[in-house]
Amino acid sequence: MANKVFKRFISISILLLLFISSFIFAVAIGAVKIPWEEIIEIIFFGVNTDNRVILMDIRLPRVMIAAILGAGLAAVGGVMQGIFMNPLVDSYTLGMSSGAALGAVFSIVTGIGIFGYATTGVFAFIGTVSTLFLVYFLSKTKNRVSINTLLLAGVAVSYFLSSIISFVMMMNKHKLDQIVFWTMGSLSSSTWQKFIISSSIIIPGVLLLNIFGRELNIMSLGEESAHYIGVDVERLKYILLGICSLIVGAVVSTGGTIGFLGLVAPHIVRLIWGSDYRRLIPYSAIIGGSILMLADALGRVLIQPSEIPVGVMTSIMGGPFFVFLLRKQKSKGA
Amino acid sequence: MNYEVKVENLCFFYGEVNILKDINLNFQAGSFVSIIGPNGSGKSTFLKNLSRYLEPQKGIVMLGDKDINKLSKKEISKKVSVVPQNILLEFDFKVKDIVMMGRHPYVNRWKGETEEDKKIVEKAMKYTNILQFSDRFYNELSGGEKQRVILAQALAQQPKVLLLDEPISHLDLQYQVEILDLVKRLTLKEGMTAISVLHDLNMASGYSDIIIMLKEGRVYCQGKPEEVLTVENIAYVFNTNVSVSKNPVTGKTYVYPISVISKKKRKLKIHIICGGGTGVKLIQELATLGFHLSTGVLNIGDSDWAISKEYELDVAEEVPFMSITNEAYKRNLELAMISDVVILLPIYLSKSNIMNVKLLTDCKLKDKKIYIVEDDNLEKRDFTNGEAIEIYKELLNKPNVVPVKKDELKEILIKADENHG
Repeated sequence: MANKVFKRFISISILLLLFISSFIFAVAIGAVKIPWEEIIEIIFFGVNTDNRVILMDIRLPRVMIAAILGAGLAAVGGVMQGIFMNPLVDSYTLGMSSGAALGAVFSIVTGIGIFGYATTGVFAFIGTVSTLFLVYFLSKTKNRVSINTLLLAGVAVSYFLSSIISFVMMMNKHKLDQIVFWTMGSLSSSTWQKFIISSSIIIPGVLLLNIFGRELNIMSLGEESAHYIGVDVERLKYILLGICSLIVGAVVSTGGTIGFLGLVAPHIVRLIWGSDYRRLIPYSAIIGGSILMLADALGRVLIQPSEIPVGVMTSIMGGPFFVFLLRKQKSKGA
Repeated sequence: MNYEVKVENLCFFYGEVNILKDINLNFQAGSFVSIIGPNGSGKSTFLKNLSRYLEPQKGIVMLGDKDINKLSKKEISKKVSVVPQNILLEFDFKVKDIVMMGRHPYVNRWKGETEEDKKIVEKAMKYTNILQFSDRFYNELSGGEKQRVILAQALAQQPKVLLLDEPISHLDLQYQVEILDLVKRLTLKEGMTAISVLHDLNMASGYSDIIIMLKEGRVYCQGKPEEVLTVENIAYVFNTNVSVSKNPVTGKTYVYPISVISKKKRKLKIHIICGGGTGVKLIQELATLGFHLSTGVLNIGDSDWAISKEYELDVAEEVPFMSITNEAYKRNLELAMISDVVILLPIYLSKSNIMNVKLLTDCKLKDKKIYIVEDDNLEKRDFTNGEAIEIYKELLNKPNVVPVKKDELKEILIKADENHG
């Protein structure tokens, strides 16, 4: 018993260490080199130096947004894998991210401002939810959702939406930069305001997801068995997918489509700590946040003076991992 | 009578298709009930209606004195647990975690698992003998071990009713026995009610107090194994020829399937006069032995008629519930004349079928070997005011007529066939 508590303490310590070191690394590197002493002085002692603006108004909000977005995507990925009982599912493979991007692009192009500053975010959310439902109902036959159909429908809808986005881009060349930002995923325009808006949705969302760990564990037995143990499967799915859509909408409206992170982070946790969702969700969030901070930091410095968008970074890293999972599942005969 | 589960007028549709048709059943507390029937007869659907995974369009399911429709999902899962066929996990869990999932209906979301929950889980694992691998991962276990884990999970729900949907398919024999032994012990010692869909009729016979036979969504019959597992019922419901006897060790009803394809072809042609089910067993046995058979006169729809048709025999047939007409009589005579041996089985006799016996006195058959199977109950079978008895007496005086006992018949025919060729 004590051994178990000790093990958990060690795990959490390692995770927090990873998170904090990723944070420091991401804050420390960038186009402008700021020495360590200066960083500490600025952050902890409020010293006013030349680099204060770069650090406090550009780098820090950007790193913190990366942490929040990464945590959100990873938690959502883990939860969706649990709901659909499939390791290849996340908000990206099901087309939710493309839906969000299309919603955002729509609001940019039309210039609608009905929700003020949050308009793009609201449209991103609407895009996410409608895509999710479209994909879900496309793959629902006779009250059953086949996972293979779900993935295929996700990919098909995702392609369809992407081509609509391409079409819109073609027709609106003057807004190309803005749109490319959404489709590739980038954190370059991060501000404190964006951080506050996105974290006010993502943090409570991720915390809420954590409450359903036990139910998600039971869902691993299959929907039918979960029903027999007293889980209201349909209600659970609606609640969780609703929260996930909110989080994905907030993520995409802040940073565009960031692929594969939601797929990879939960699997790293599964490989090390197993599939218990009561741990998988918070651990995935910490790892997802760390990975996105690192990916964004690397994207900033690898090809200076230009930047690799963070969505491109995660897809480059995540694509091969996806193939690895696919092969692994195939060899299992599932 | 103390009924744990009551089902009244249950009807269930998948879309337009009526799967369950007006089912009325009572399940006594502490009994082991098996549900058998061919594929598509609605067995699994019926179980899913009992656990409210599916909701019937009509009818009521009562758990104890409560209508299952008025219970919440959690409340139902405290009373009923289900052991399905075989569960595979995409994401692996430890055995003890899987068993603990069974406590879900009792665990408070905020407080988590209590010491009591842990005790109950341990007891369930001890009962199913899986304590020794409580720390191993589920997917690493063998099929039989997995099923014991799922059974332990079901027990952790502390149910009154255990529903099992083909719990032993895909398991090796030793595990099949192990699982059913565990369930049987639960019914006997803990008073749990077990309702199980089983494919293996002999397993059903060995473990059940009651067997329910479903055909096309209806209860065809129910009762003790020996009452339900008869040659006639199985032939009708499963469309399969079997022979039924007793297991020499346990004394339970035992079902042997009989293949329609016989290996040996025999030359002896036999005409059987039967009716009302008297011929089913003999036709099956003789057909299996490879004899060339014909039957008559049988009313269409009679079970002897049905089995004759199944073996593709020549049949002198008559419209249902009609007296034997001249035409049918002639056909019967024809079939008797071209065969080497005629057998008369102990059929019930009335004005409508007396011609079947009279046939044997026909002078055209005076050289034909005729075997009359005796049963010493002629008076009880006679509904012709003695006319039939007179004919029997006349027949038995003929030199070509031999009375035989039921169990000698097969051997006599085999010998006759050997001499014949």
